[in-house]
Amino acid sequence: MTKNSTLALIAWATAAGVYVAAHAVDAQFAMFWVFGLAFGFVLQRARFCFASAFRDIFLMGHARNMKGVLVGLAVGAVGFGVVMSRQVPLTSLGIYPPSANVLPLGIHTALGGLLFGVGMVLAGGCVSGSIYRMGEGYVASWVAFAGVMGGLLLSAHTWNWWWEAHISATPRIWLPHLIGHPGALVATLLGLAAVYVWVVSIEHRAGVVVPVASGAPIQPESFGEDLRSVARRFFEQAWPIIPAGAALGGLNVLLFMAQEPWGFTGEVSRWSIAAASIVNAAPGPLVGGESLPGCVLVPSDGNFLNHMLFLVLGMFFGSFAAAVGAGEFKLRIPRRPVRYGQSLGGGVIMGYGSGIGMGCTIGAFFSAIPSLAVNGWVFGGFLAIGAWIGTLIIQRIQ
Amino acid sequence: MTPTKLDVRGEICPYPMMRTVSALKKLPGDESALEVVTDHAPALETIPTQAARLGFRTDIEEAGVSEWRITITRTQVEEEA
Repeated sequence: MTKNSTLALIAWATAAGVYVAAHAVDAQFAMFWVFGLAFGFVLQRARFCFASAFRDIFLMGHARNMKGVLVGLAVGAVGFGVVMSRQVPLTSLGIYPPSANVLPLGIHTALGGLLFGVGMVLAGGCVSGSIYRMGEGYVASWVAFAGVMGGLLLSAHTWNWWWEAHISATPRIWLPHLIGHPGALVATLLGLAAVYVWVVSIEHRAGVVVPVASGAPIQPESFGEDLRSVARRFFEQAWPIIPAGAALGGLNVLLFMAQEPWGFTGEVSRWSIAAASIVNAAPGPLVGGESLPGCVLVPSDGNFLNHMLFLVLGMFFGSFAAAVGAGEFKLRIPRRPVRYGQSLGGGVIMGYGSGIGMGCTIGAFFSAIPSLAVNGWVFGGFLAIGAWIGTLIIQRIQ
Repeated sequence: MTPTKLDVRGEICPYPMMRTVSALKKLPGDESALEVVTDHAPALETIPTQAARLGFRTDIEEAGVSEWRITITRTQVEEEA
């Protein structure tokens, strides 16, 4: 047994211990812990990065991650579409599915996506990317996460202004209200297919793409050797992006069926506001939020344990365990001081964007497009514009 | 001849790839190889792709715990004398 697999077994045994302890308190905590572990594991194994999905299209005409994202969105859309057609069979009544991420659509959506796109490229990862890289030992990602918490707190201080000046008057546009369930699903899948064709054309113009070498083919000598090679592909070699995207989309559907779509900036804002309240820097009551789904800012309620806490910690720990098992855990300490500044600044910009946009690349995009909500497409489009601006900036900060 | 070396360990994404590309572009014409040390796994796909587009071929070997040595060799010899 290798050193990696011993350490990985200890990590997974710890994860199982947390599961048992969480289950003793509340079965829901344990379920969200398992979802978090699964998301973190898949993100780490496939090096699945939403920031690079957008950035690499502009930076190098490379669409590996974006292809995975698009497949995940398509799987999510089919699953969410089926679930929502049962939740709201009659679209003519104007009712919304209770927990899908159909969010108010307005200037805040566009500005939130734009800021988030710039911030994630500056920081070298979005919020989910920073969480999984924290688990891999990237010190700059811890700095970026602290920035995200700061940015969310800033956005909480301006939330009531945004709500009264703009957000409260903006519509929530759900495609099934306009073109029915089948029409909304078909339109969404066609849209995703069109983006897929577009990114392939960009990749084609940019030239060759060299995939990760998957190692020499192994001539299996025994059944045991066959099993070990399966385990190596699962735990040690980088996963191909398409199955990883499909797995993330499928997990998102399961989480939606169980309770609500994948997302966590609302939860991170709760930590941030709770921390600020210790030094009397918390904002007052936030208006309008209770009536909205998704990753809307969550004021601290004095009760620290909740199911979303287990989801976020599970993502971190799942990535850590996956990285340890693959021999990819290492403390990575940037040597150029400017990297700490850009990680922190990028994090703050991302945090503010996700506060007013009511979500990140996950809640306001990866869970919103499958919710058949127009806000997901607008947020995604502005993420792309923001990422393009971010790409121009990072090329000037060598 | 020992190849030019570039150590990008500790760097955040996507600087391992970007700094490799700028080093390749600055590589003197009489030097045929660049050796990059990185601890950033995603660069194992982006560096070979960008190197190939600039006319280089890459060989990756493990060089420690989550560290890789990427040897980048010129494949197109410039014709002009």
